[in-house]
Amino acid sequence: MTMYKKLQEKQPTHVLERIRESLERLNEKMDVMIEIQKQNPRGVESIPDVLDVMTLLSLPDHLRKTAVTLCRLGHATADQVAEQTKRARAVESGYLNQLVFMGYVKKERQGRRAYFYVEKEG
Amino acid sequence: MRKIIALHSYKGGTGKTLLSINLAATYVKTGKDVCLLDLDFRAPSLQAAFKTNDAEYWINDYLNGTCDIRKVLIDVTQQRGGKGRFFVGLANPTTEAIREMTAKDRKWEMRALGRLLSLKSSVLNDMHMDYLIFDTSPGLQYSSINAIVAADAVLVVTSVDTSDVRGTQRMVHELYDLFDKKTGILMNKVPAEALASPTKKEAFRRQFNNLHSLPILEAIPCFCDILRSGGTYIFAEEKPEHPFTKALERIAAQVEQF
Repeated sequence: MTMYKKLQEKQPTHVLERIRESLERLNEKMDVMIEIQKQNPRGVESIPDVLDVMTLLSLPDHLRKTAVTLCRLGHATADQVAEQTKRARAVESGYLNQLVFMGYVKKERQGRRAYFYVEKEG
Repeated sequence: MRKIIALHSYKGGTGKTLLSINLAATYVKTGKDVCLLDLDFRAPSLQAAFKTNDAEYWINDYLNGTCDIRKVLIDVTQQRGGKGRFFVGLANPTTEAIREMTAKDRKWEMRALGRLLSLKSSVLNDMHMDYLIFDTSPGLQYSSINAIVAADAVLVVTSVDTSDVRGTQRMVHELYDLFDKKTGILMNKVPAEALASPTKKEAFRRQFNNLHSLPILEAIPCFCDILRSGGTYIFAEEKPEHPFTKALERIAAQVEQF
């Protein structure tokens, strides 16, 4: 609590903003998990699917924006997606990971960087 | 600014192809470099319009990943005689190709979307074209939605027919809005009496602006001489003073400002 107060005194809006973003991401992840649980009561780790335009149409607005941007970029980091969508990197990272979790997007690490893609080129 | 423009409609026969060709020709006339692609794989039309048998590769091949887009594009600059460069990309009109395109699976459509998206870099940036114009299939189907997602601006061609107006309204809310597209409406084949005076024209525009909740870029009257021409020549090139050509010039100027 004391540490939180110190942080709050230093940069109150910044800290609150980060907490809000984290909570939003948690909420969205839980929504996705609940949805997947409903559809797969026996529990399947992931549902691989195709990110075609009909799937894009069925996604919620915030995920559609991320997915279309990734389709345009082909292979990108959360930073590169955030640059295009003008949203925070942390927010895009959350959305991209949700798309990975839903089976529409793949993720690979190159050193410390995580890259997201719909399909490997070639 | 370089742009990809998709011409789309809810119903067939609204005049997408005629308007696509004439919009492209209007830009070329003013010195812009334009590439016009036929993405109507069910009813390919540009080959007949440009009277060319030069196609060795089709857009079908590009989307299948078997060739580069430059192999598909036919340079018609000399043939058309405009100030800018003019390229067309044709869809394969054979029955076999049409049948093949209708049987593609979701994974192919996903890859096709990726290839359409990459045209921004290969055609607009690398070939320095000012406009890439997509003539699409009507309604909600893969090829047209792919084209809309890849485009920067969408021009929706509609008539005054009630079913067309209602279908267009649905597409505005359930398609263009969802993809956050700059969209404008082109009312085509409007009965001449609805546009007979400036007052009537203004009332017509207001009525349809409200119905579509989108700007009506132009209300184009139904011209018998366009029907009479039978698609044998391009109005924007051959009839510079025709009201249809003038309407296209106004549309081109508005889209430039999008």
